[in-house]
Amino acid sequence: MIFDKPNSVDLLEAISHFLNTKIKSEVPAHLAFKIRIIENVLNIVIREIEKGDKLSNEVMTQLQSLIETDEPTIEALALLIKDEKIDLEDQDLKKLLVTLSKNKIAVDNPNYSTFKKLIE
Amino acid sequence: MTEELSIALQNKLLEANIEGKILNLVPLTGGASKEIWKFEVQDTDEIKQYILRKGSGIEGPLAIKTSDEALLQQEVKKINAPVPEIVAVSSLDEELGDSYIMKFVEGESIPRKVLRDNEYKDALPLLAFQCGESIAKIHEVEVNNLHYLQEKTPMDQLNELYSTYESFNQPSPMFEYTYLWLKDQDFGDIKASLVHGDFRLGNIIVSNSGLESIIDWELAHIGNPLQDLGWICGNSWRFGQNEKVVGGFGDLEDLLKGYNSISKFKVNENLVRTWQVFGTFRWGVICLIQAAAHLNGSVNSIEKAAIGRRVSETEIDIADLLFLGGK
Repeated sequence: MIFDKPNSVDLLEAISHFLNTKIKSEVPAHLAFKIRIIENVLNIVIREIEKGDKLSNEVMTQLQSLIETDEPTIEALALLIKDEKIDLEDQDLKKLLVTLSKNKIAVDNPNYSTFKKLIE
Repeated sequence: MTEELSIALQNKLLEANIEGKILNLVPLTGGASKEIWKFEVQDTDEIKQYILRKGSGIEGPLAIKTSDEALLQQEVKKINAPVPEIVAVSSLDEELGDSYIMKFVEGESIPRKVLRDNEYKDALPLLAFQCGESIAKIHEVEVNNLHYLQEKTPMDQLNELYSTYESFNQPSPMFEYTYLWLKDQDFGDIKASLVHGDFRLGNIIVSNSGLESIIDWELAHIGNPLQDLGWICGNSWRFGQNEKVVGGFGDLEDLLKGYNSISKFKVNENLVRTWQVFGTFRWGVICLIQAAAHLNGSVNSIEKAAIGRRVSETEIDIADLLFLGGK
């Protein structure tokens, strides 16, 4: 990247910090509630920037060995399941669906109870 | 804006012979789809508290009109199920829009407060049984009076959810798998009844003695009643209390004891489990619907945008239920 510091994560963290420390206590309850949502959204973006590639690649590697094409996609897998062109009882398929779900929630909401339970 | 709303409220209340000054009109943090306002009316010597529930006039594909919610609540009140008393109903073409005014019920609806605050500590162990009883009561409402509700079989609903998911063009391997799995299940051969459709913490008011009132009827329909039991067991509504299967506060055994104490159809745990997967899939599709309203430009809403990233919560929950022995 050709850009100077602060990088995108630094900038998002600065916004999050500002909202949390300077704004949240100054606004009525229903807006403070919205600020919490905004903070959550900023944190999703930060995690996606930081970990998104690695988490996606892990799924794609598993997917490649499962469906044996050069350029596997999530859409292609969805279609194979839909058309039942893949054995729904296949353990590798189930394993892949678990990895896919885990890696998505790892960005969207790593505090989610089921995710925390599964990584313990 | 608040002043205009105040005037509209005052006019509407006059129709119900409630006269007085509107005080302390404040928005409450409610669901993502409806406005909720709390206010007081000062009579000569008394102050009474009310709630306004107001829709935008544009319902999501699964929701009913706000004014129909009011009619439904009045119907449910007749069989002594706990619901707030409606004082006035307004249709979309009136000054107040698609909305209704009900009496304020003392208690708490915010899930995390109910689960954490000391005040509700003694209520929580009673709540699963009470919810079971109330859900069974809802299912005894005479459905012939509810002409504004659609009747949907489990397969109708499943296909409706699936085609809604498909219409958003965001293929999910987990949802495809779930749909095929659900199509194969036994949903229980039981007479169609009124289904609340969203019975869980957040949509019930809890006091220190337990369940006080059932609110938020926008997802009501006529269908297989077991849906309400599976729904409240979904992990989406446990608010972090994963080990408490019923709503984050109770055990399935107690919910079913309460339900079976009133219902003629006795329910076992396996049926609830199927409906739990169904409910989790349904919540996933509702998240997609909410996010789509933001994505297609019909509303610009941070809540609706954010909810699109909660679809993955339902996927991990279903993966846990189907593949990893989750409860």
